[in-house]
Parts: sequence; C-alpha cells; structure tokens
Amino acid sequence: MTEQAPFKRRKRPAATPHRHEAGRCLRILRELSAFIDDELQGDICLEIRRHLGGCPRCEEFVASLRQTVSLCRRNPAPALSAKERAKMRERILDAAQSR
Amino acid sequence: MYRYASRLCGEADAAKDLVQETFLNAYRGFDKFRGEAQVSTWLYSIASRACLRMRRRRKGAPERELSLEEFIPSSDGEFRLQIPVQGLSPEEALQNKQLRQGLDAAIGKLPKKYKMVLVLRDMEGLSAKEVGAIMGLNERAVKSRLHRARLFVRRELSARGLAEGTHEPDHA
Repeated sequence: MTEQAPFKRRKRPAATPHRHEAGRCLRILRELSAFIDDELQGDICLEIRRHLGGCPRCEEFVASLRQTVSLCRRNPAPALSAKERAKMRERILDAAQSR
Repeated sequence: MYRYASRLCGEADAAKDLVQETFLNAYRGFDKFRGEAQVSTWLYSIASRACLRMRRRRKGAPERELSLEEFIPSSDGEFRLQIPVQGLSPEEALQNKQLRQGLDAAIGKLPKKYKMVLVLRDMEGLSAKEVGAIMGLNERAVKSRLHRARLFVRRELSARGLAEGTHEPDHA
C-alpha cells in the first residue's frame, strides 16, 4: 500500500486590500448612520450592502459603529433616590417661592 | 429630567443645578406655554438652552465642529478599531465598570451640540423630529450631528484600549 501524501489545507489567497476612493468613501461614510437605523433606501443602500459584502474592513467598521450605538442606547443613567427627589422638589419650590 | 441633565453634565451637582434651573424656568414661563408641543419636549428645550447657557458662562474654548473627513479611516488599523464587547450583549458588556466609564468619558468629550443630539436621540429615545423641535434644527441637521457624534464616540471608545480586563463583569 502506497503511503498517501499528508493532507494539506490549501491556503486561501489573501484578500485583495480594498482601495477606497476618497470621494466614494466619504459618500458611504456619510450614510452609515442612516444605514444602521434602516432609514436608507434605494441605490445607496444597495451600494453599501454590496460594498460590505466584499470588504471585511468596512464590515468591521460598520459592526463597531453598530456596537457603539447599541451601547449608547443601553447605557444606564444614574437616578435620584426617593430622598434626593424629595429634597430637589423642596429646593425648587423654595427657589420659586422666594422669587 | 435628572437623567437627561446627568447625561449632559456628567456630574451630579451640575445635573441637579440644571434640573432646578429647568423647572424654575418652566414655572416662570408656564403662561407662555401654548400646548403646541408635548410638555416633555418643552422641558427638554428649556433644559437644553439652560445647559448651553451654563457652558457659555464657563467661557471655555469655543466648541469645535466635527467634520466627516476626520473620521475617514486612513489606515487598516483605523478600520479595525474594535469596541471591546467580546461577543456580549450591550447590557452584559455595560456591566463592566471600565467600559461604562469609557463610554461616559467618550460621550463627555463630545462638543455640547453633538452630545445633546446623541443623548436625546440614542439615549432618551426621541425621534429625529422631536430632537429637531427641541434644538431648533431640521431633521437633516439632527441626523448629520448624530452621525458625527456616533463616529466620534466609536473612535474614542475603541482608542481607549479597553480590550484587556473587559472579560469579567464588575458590578459597581
């Protein structure tokens, strides 16, 4: 029985670095919030989807922008305790009555 | 209102002052309120104007404009800036104190007019139309400022190098 050559994974060719034309890049960058918020329609939306499909770097960029927005939306805000709220109400009423 | 003031001012005492000034101004100006907008919108407007006046009184450096061009990635690294959330949901990620502080610091560095739009839209959950009514802007201007604010926070957050030490939630 002949020895079989060890299985070698074929290496994928490295992705061709995507070259962004400055004008096009700016145009896409300008629309990314609308894209993330699903407010973009028509050709520019299609253009962005196609672009992201072929550009891992831009896809990462958009993913990090989405994460930023999600974090902002869910960032908890400090709240006043019931005691602090009562104190503030008193301050406001005092200030209103003294004027 | 305290939640909004706190997000704008970044510290408790200034936020309380802003809340007080807002309600005092609302009380004094209530006879001028025609009911065309919701009371909440009206109060947000008063608070926003009061906040801008507080800033002007402090007389810091004039606030800069954010241009879209400054956010165009110029290197591979800038494309790949990552927010250190490690596959967690936003709520899970925000249990990490370092990330929360990083996010607050990033938002805190925003020039005020961008911060207001980001807070009103993405944190208070108002529509672009409502934000426009509060700030005296059209919707297009609101969306333009919002976008710049988001890009700014993204860059600040990922540049803080929080990738280490974000694995364990830190309840504080």
